[in-house]
Amino acid sequence: MSSNLAPPAREKDDTFAIQTFQLTRLFGSLVAVDGIELNIKKGELFALLGPNGAGKTTTINMLCCLLKPTAGTATIMGYDINQQPFKIKEIIGVSPQETTISEHLNAQEHLNLIGRIHNINAKELKSRSQKLLETMGLAERAKDQVRKYSGGMKRRLNIMMALIHNPEVIFLDEPTLGLDPQARRAIWDYILQLKGEKTILLTTHYMDEADSLSDRIGIMDEGKIVALGTSRELRMRVVEKRTMIIYAWNLTQKVINEMQSKYAEVKVSDGTMLITDKQLDFKTVVDQLHSLGAMVRSAYFKEPTLDEVFLQITGKELRE
Amino acid sequence: MRILELASRNLKETYRDPLALGFLLGFPLLFMLLFGAMFGGDTVPHYPVGVIDEDNTPLSQAFVNDALAKVEVFKLSTYNDTNAAFDDLKLGDLRAYVVIPQGFGEEVSQNWQGKETNIVLQMTYDESDIQVSQQLISIMNTVTRSFARIEIPVTINANPIHIETKITYVDFIAPGIIIFGLLIMIPTSARIMVRDKEKGVLSRLLTTPTSPVDFISGYSLCLVAIAIAQIIIFMAIAWGFGMDYVGSVWLAFLIFFLTGLCSIGIGMVIASLSKSENQAEPLCWLFSMPLAMLSGCWFSIDMLPSYLKTIASAFPYAHAISASRGVITRGVGLAGVSSDFLFLVVWTVAVFIIGVILFRRSMRS
Repeated sequence: MSSNLAPPAREKDDTFAIQTFQLTRLFGSLVAVDGIELNIKKGELFALLGPNGAGKTTTINMLCCLLKPTAGTATIMGYDINQQPFKIKEIIGVSPQETTISEHLNAQEHLNLIGRIHNINAKELKSRSQKLLETMGLAERAKDQVRKYSGGMKRRLNIMMALIHNPEVIFLDEPTLGLDPQARRAIWDYILQLKGEKTILLTTHYMDEADSLSDRIGIMDEGKIVALGTSRELRMRVVEKRTMIIYAWNLTQKVINEMQSKYAEVKVSDGTMLITDKQLDFKTVVDQLHSLGAMVRSAYFKEPTLDEVFLQITGKELRE
Repeated sequence: MRILELASRNLKETYRDPLALGFLLGFPLLFMLLFGAMFGGDTVPHYPVGVIDEDNTPLSQAFVNDALAKVEVFKLSTYNDTNAAFDDLKLGDLRAYVVIPQGFGEEVSQNWQGKETNIVLQMTYDESDIQVSQQLISIMNTVTRSFARIEIPVTINANPIHIETKITYVDFIAPGIIIFGLLIMIPTSARIMVRDKEKGVLSRLLTTPTSPVDFISGYSLCLVAIAIAQIIIFMAIAWGFGMDYVGSVWLAFLIFFLTGLCSIGIGMVIASLSKSENQAEPLCWLFSMPLAMLSGCWFSIDMLPSYLKTIASAFPYAHAISASRGVITRGVGLAGVSSDFLFLVVWTVAVFIIGVILFRRSMRS
């Protein structure tokens, strides 16, 4: 952990919805969050990606004013989490990891409860909850008690509760944890609809979730942000060798031998050639193949997956 | 209103859960029915009690014939002198005898005219059976007070004397049982709060602009509704089993209500100190069962050693029992129970303040 626990003097910036300043939290001697520095822009969808126990939920809980930081601080829309927790609670919407809802209330009553706590008038509340229930596909079951819901329905309700009061900043902690692919897809679709309109911080340990939803990704491990950037930036940063995949006719032994002499690794099977090397130029490779008499039908670079990125940065694999 | 929203959510969560509802209303119901069946039926104990009327005035005679003679528990026989009564007591034919001294009628009539005068009765009893003798003293006390308290017009003979005639065992024990039922609100309220804490509902709501006072009030309102329902059940069943409300029913209700409120507050404090239902539940029972015993829910605490009485009187329940017994069986007014009443109020306010402070502290760890 960082030796200096005092919050550093850093300029607060209006363009950011969430800023953390050496945000740190200890549980006994365990450093759950280790002096993280984050700047999340207004309207950005930011994913905190990391394995279980990386400190993602602890970070969210501090930002939602549920947990006090041991050191450092953070601001949400300019409000300090240590000084103005109630100001923050008015403008955030939170969907916690555990679907913590009243088993004996129905979906409508849940939305009404959160809505009225935020002083939304009855008419507005009705139209908003109606719209949300329809978008999230819960309208028909709105009057059923929650204990009769499936895991996916509960999670959707949980997200709706985070949105009913039209918050400026939304925290989604593992929004699709433990759901089947279809239910995940439905939630992703909805999150994508919100993209750009709201500032969203979501945590996940699913690569594909971070990859397909977020504007930027922060990879978190052992309480630290170990890498930060767009999905593409992260992939490119760690790539040492690139692989090009070429479909071509007339891949004779001569072509193969010639290419093998030029590049570190060349494999061919079923009319497909894989070339791997540190330096690969798309046009050069295609020209070389043509000059050797091969007919290139298609060619592309194989993108590294975020899994590979994660493995390379942390030395660990993400657990599904 | 956030408080009302939270309270209605808490109530819904409770009454839509058949098991919880069954426990909250079914338990007191069952409890009172069982107790009523045990003590309210035909099996009223009969104790032979002797009377020596040394006053021999119309009032003392009325006291013997209209008041004492109608106490079901007493099997009354009159004696002319104390020696004969004392012999019978020694032989075991009498459990006790009471001497109505000269001047009794005068004292009673002064009381009726609004001048408070001390009424002296001499009671001699067999103290080998502590429980029975305590009960006899208590009943004698009650009958006498209720007799002396009654206001009648100046001419006695013109009006039949209407007094509480059936002091039964139910009258004596019911207030204690009701207080016990309300003591059980401690685990009930702790459970409702800790359940939300354990399941994360609380932290979910803590991400909204809800204050600790909102939370406490939301839970309290819900629990108060439950307490009121329980008190009504208790009071109605006790009445059904023959408990007479000599004093104001409303005052009795108010005392029970304060007792319930105090239990809710104590439950809240315990809930704030515990992390899970598994912690809160034993803590509550550990607190409430010995307290029920010490406070005299099931028997009179007059026989307790004084240090235990001191401990008991530090807690609100012994006061609640003494006050409610006073109102229900002796018709004591608010002034007569004011010190017990005040004690209840102070305890209630104190536990709520402590509850809010502890809750606020546990809000953001």
